[in-house]
Amino acid sequence: MTNATGDGARGGGPLVVVCLRVTDLRPEVDPLTGVVTRSAHGAGLSAADEAALERALAIARAWSGRVLAVAAGSPIVEGPLRAAAALGAAVLRVAWPPHDEADGHGAAPGAASAVNAASAVDPEPFGPRAAYLADLAGDTRALAEVLVDAIRTVGEPTLVLCGDLSPDRGTGALPAQLAHALGAAQALGLVSLTPTDDGWLLAERRLDGGRRERLRVPTPAVCSAEAAGLRLRRAALPALLAAGDAPVPAARPTRPAVGAVEVVDVRAYRPRARVVPPPAGATPRDRLLALTGALVAHDPPTIIGPTDAGQAADALVAYLVRNGYLTA
Amino acid sequence: MADEQAPYAGPGTSPGTAVGDRPADVDVIVVGAGPAGAAAALAAARAGASVVLLERGPFPGSKNVYGGVIYGRILDAVLPNWWEEVPVERWVVRRSTMVLTETQALTVDFRTQTWAGPPYNGMTAYRADFDSWLAGKATAAGARLVTSTVATGLLRDAAGRVVGVRTDRTDGELRARVVIAADGVNSFLAKESGLLPKADPKHHTLGVKEVLSLPREVIDERFGLRGQEGLDIEMLGNTRGIPGGGFLYTNSDTVSIGAVLALPGLAAAKVRPEEIIADLKAHPAIAPYLRGATVKEYAAHLIPEGGYDHMPALATDGLLIAGDAAGMTLAAGIWLEGVNFAIGSGLVAGRVAAEAAAAGDASKKRLARYRDELEKQFVLADHKRLRGAPEIILSERIQRRYPGLVADLVESLFTVTNPEPKPGALALLRRAAKRNGVSLRELARDGLRIGKVFR
Amino acid sequence: MGAATAPAATEAAEGGGGRLGDIAFEDRMATVDFRVGERAHIVVDSDVCRSCTTRACVTACPANLFAPTADGGILFNYEQCFECGTCYMVCNGEGALTWTYPDGGQGVVFRQG
Repeated sequence: MTNATGDGARGGGPLVVVCLRVTDLRPEVDPLTGVVTRSAHGAGLSAADEAALERALAIARAWSGRVLAVAAGSPIVEGPLRAAAALGAAVLRVAWPPHDEADGHGAAPGAASAVNAASAVDPEPFGPRAAYLADLAGDTRALAEVLVDAIRTVGEPTLVLCGDLSPDRGTGALPAQLAHALGAAQALGLVSLTPTDDGWLLAERRLDGGRRERLRVPTPAVCSAEAAGLRLRRAALPALLAAGDAPVPAARPTRPAVGAVEVVDVRAYRPRARVVPPPAGATPRDRLLALTGALVAHDPPTIIGPTDAGQAADALVAYLVRNGYLTA
Repeated sequence: MADEQAPYAGPGTSPGTAVGDRPADVDVIVVGAGPAGAAAALAAARAGASVVLLERGPFPGSKNVYGGVIYGRILDAVLPNWWEEVPVERWVVRRSTMVLTETQALTVDFRTQTWAGPPYNGMTAYRADFDSWLAGKATAAGARLVTSTVATGLLRDAAGRVVGVRTDRTDGELRARVVIAADGVNSFLAKESGLLPKADPKHHTLGVKEVLSLPREVIDERFGLRGQEGLDIEMLGNTRGIPGGGFLYTNSDTVSIGAVLALPGLAAAKVRPEEIIADLKAHPAIAPYLRGATVKEYAAHLIPEGGYDHMPALATDGLLIAGDAAGMTLAAGIWLEGVNFAIGSGLVAGRVAAEAAAAGDASKKRLARYRDELEKQFVLADHKRLRGAPEIILSERIQRRYPGLVADLVESLFTVTNPEPKPGALALLRRAAKRNGVSLRELARDGLRIGKVFR
Repeated sequence: MGAATAPAATEAAEGGGGRLGDIAFEDRMATVDFRVGERAHIVVDSDVCRSCTTRACVTACPANLFAPTADGGILFNYEQCFECGTCYMVCNGEGALTWTYPDGGQGVVFRQG
C-alpha cells in the first residue's frame, strides 16, 4: 500500500506504535445551535496523546526498537505527524473518514499549507461536516480495523499506545477495539508504563481511595495512558530542518466505515422543561419550605465499609433491591 | 523559584556567542514570521537565497494583534491579484473619525464605493489568518518555516559580526550570511545587537482589544454595510486623560473594539487598560452599536510609536531589522498604519540580504543599502515627512483639551438659544476654548504646528 | 485576580451603568488560548519591589498578572501572559523584572488578533 518514512522505520527491533488524535484543542461551540467550528490554528495533540508519543519514544529506546506514529484524519494531521517525524518516529496518515480528498480540504497548517494555499482560509480544515457526521455514526471498530491494516503495512506491532483522553471523542473505545483487531493484550487508563527486563511491561492504574494497581502486561499489547505530568520532548533543530516538509505517506482505507447508526444531524443537548406544580402553603415561608424540602426528615446516607469487595458488592445489590431498582 | 530559572537566562539577556568561521547553514535567517518577516523571507527566497524563517508561536500570526486596517497596495508588485485569495474579513469602505468626551461625540464619516472593489484600499482581517497566508507565500517561494522555535540570541564571529542565531532547541545554533530580525516590538535580537534600547516606555503604546461576536446581518444593519463592506472608526478622547485613542472595526461576524494607550500615561493614571475599553463600549455613541455583543477574544500588544526621530539604526554587520522591531509603525493621527510598513520594510530587507549573501559581503556598509532604499520608498519617506506627528498627536492639548473644545463648540453651534439671538461663531469658539482651558493663541500656534507637520 | 467587578455576564456594557454588565475578568481571560509552559518566563525580584513607590505593573498589565503582597513585594503569575512587554517597559526598578519570551510553541495563541 504505502511505505512509512522516517528514521524510526528503518532497522529492526520491536515496533512501538502510537495512535494520535489530531483535533482543534479549543473548538468554538455555538451555545444555541451546538454547531462545532474547528479551526486549523488550534490543531494539535492533547496532553495525553503527547505523553503517549513520549512514552513510545522512551520504550522504543529501551527496547532498541522503532516508533511508528499513526493518525487518522484529513491532511491537517500531517502537522503533528511531521513533528513526530522530527523526533525520529516513522509516520503514517490514514485518510479518515473515507471520502474524496480531491477538493483540497484540510491542508496541514504551517509549512505544508503553503503548497496548496490557493484559497484563503479553509472553512472545514478537518474535512467536510458530512464526513464528520459519518464518522460519528461509524463505530470505532471500523476505524480500529483500518488502523491495524495500515500498521501492518509497516510491521507487526509489539506495543500500541494511545492517549487515554482526547477532547474530541477520540480514544474512548478505540484502544479496546485495536486490541481486539490485533489479538493483543490490553491495559487501559494507565498512569505509568515502563518496560521490564524480561520484555514485559509494568503498568500502573489508579484505583479509588488513592490506591494504585500494578499490572504486568505481556506483549503484544495495546495500552492507553493519561499524561500524568509527562511532557513531550522537543525536537532538535537539525532534525526539525531535516524533517522539513517531507510528504507524509497516506494509507487509503480498504474497508468502508460502516456503522449501525445513521446520524442525520447533531444538536446541543437541551433537556425538556419539567413542569413543577406550585408549592402549597399559606405564607411565602411555607411555600419555600415545601419547594426546597427543608425540615423534612430524610433517610441518612448509609455508610458501607471499610469492607472487602464481595461484601461491598452484596451491600450495593441489597440497596438496589431495597429501593426497587432490581428485582430480588 | 528564581533559582530554578537560573540556567535559562532567556532571549537577549546574554552577550552574543562568539563562534569560529564555520560555514553558514543558509544564506538568510529571518526571525519572526509576522508581516515583516514573511515579506523578508518571500523577497529573499525569490532573489534566490536559501532562507529559514523562524517563528516562536505554533503558527505565524499566533502572537500578533493589530488595530484596524491592513493596506495591501504594497503587495501589488509581489503578489499580483492578492485580493482574490487574501483571507479578508471585510474591505473598508467607511472611515470615521470620532472626537469623544464623556457625553459628546463628533464624527467625521467618509464612505466611498471605490474601495469596495478591486484593487481595494484597506481591509480588516484576523492576523492568525493573514500572517499564516503571507508566510505561506514565503514557503511557496522556497523559504523553510520553522515554528515553535524562539531565537534566544545572536551568534557572532571573532570580529563581532552577526553570523547566525541561537534557538531554544537542542543543537539550536543556526548560521547564516545575513540575519533579519523581524521579531516584533520587543525585539530581543535588536536589543542584544545594541540597535534598540532595553526599555523605552516613552515611545511605546499599549493596544488592548476585544473581539465581540455579533451576527453578520446585525453588523451589516447597524453599520450600514453590505456583503464584504467594512467600517473602521478611529476615536480621540474619552481615555481618562491617558494619551492615546480608541478604535472600532468590523470583521465578518465580529466587531473589534480597543484602545491604544501611551505607557507613561497608563502607568501614571493607575487605571486598568480593560477599563478604558469598557468606557468606550459604554459611551452613548458606541454602546448602541454593540448591544448584545459577547466577548470572543481579549488581546493586548505593544506598539512602537516613536516615529522617524526615534527609529534605531537599521543595520549592523550581518544583521538587519525590519517591521515593529525597527519601530516602523506609523501613528500619525489620521494615518494609522503598521502592517503595510512592516511588509514594505521586510520586502526591501529580504532583497538586500539576499544580494549581500550572494555577493559574500554582509558588512554594515553594504547593508546600509537597506536604509537607502527605504528612504526612497514610502516606508521612510512617510515617516520622515510625518516625523513631528507622534509628539503632537500625543501632546497634552490634543489629547485632553481639544476633544472637549471641539465638542463644546459644535454643541453650542447647534444648540438653539431662542429667544436669545445666535451668538457669533468666534464668540462660541472663544467660549469653548476658555471652558477647556485653551487660549486662542495656543490654538493658533497648534494649528500652525499641525499644518507644518502634515503639510 | 481582584479586578472582577461584576458577576459573570456576557452582555457587552451598555450605557448608563459604566462597569455594570461588563464581563468578569476571569471570563475575559478565559476567551484567550494560553498554552502554558513549564518555565516561568516572568521572574520578579520582590526585594527590589519593596522599595518601589509606583508599582506601575500592578495596574498597567492588561492580563492583571501582578499583585502587591502585604509585605511590600509583588506576587506574579506567568500563565495567562499576553507577552506584550508592558510590565518591563513601565517597571522603574532596575533588575526587578526579568521578562523573556516563553519557550517555543508555548504561551498565548491569538485566534482573532
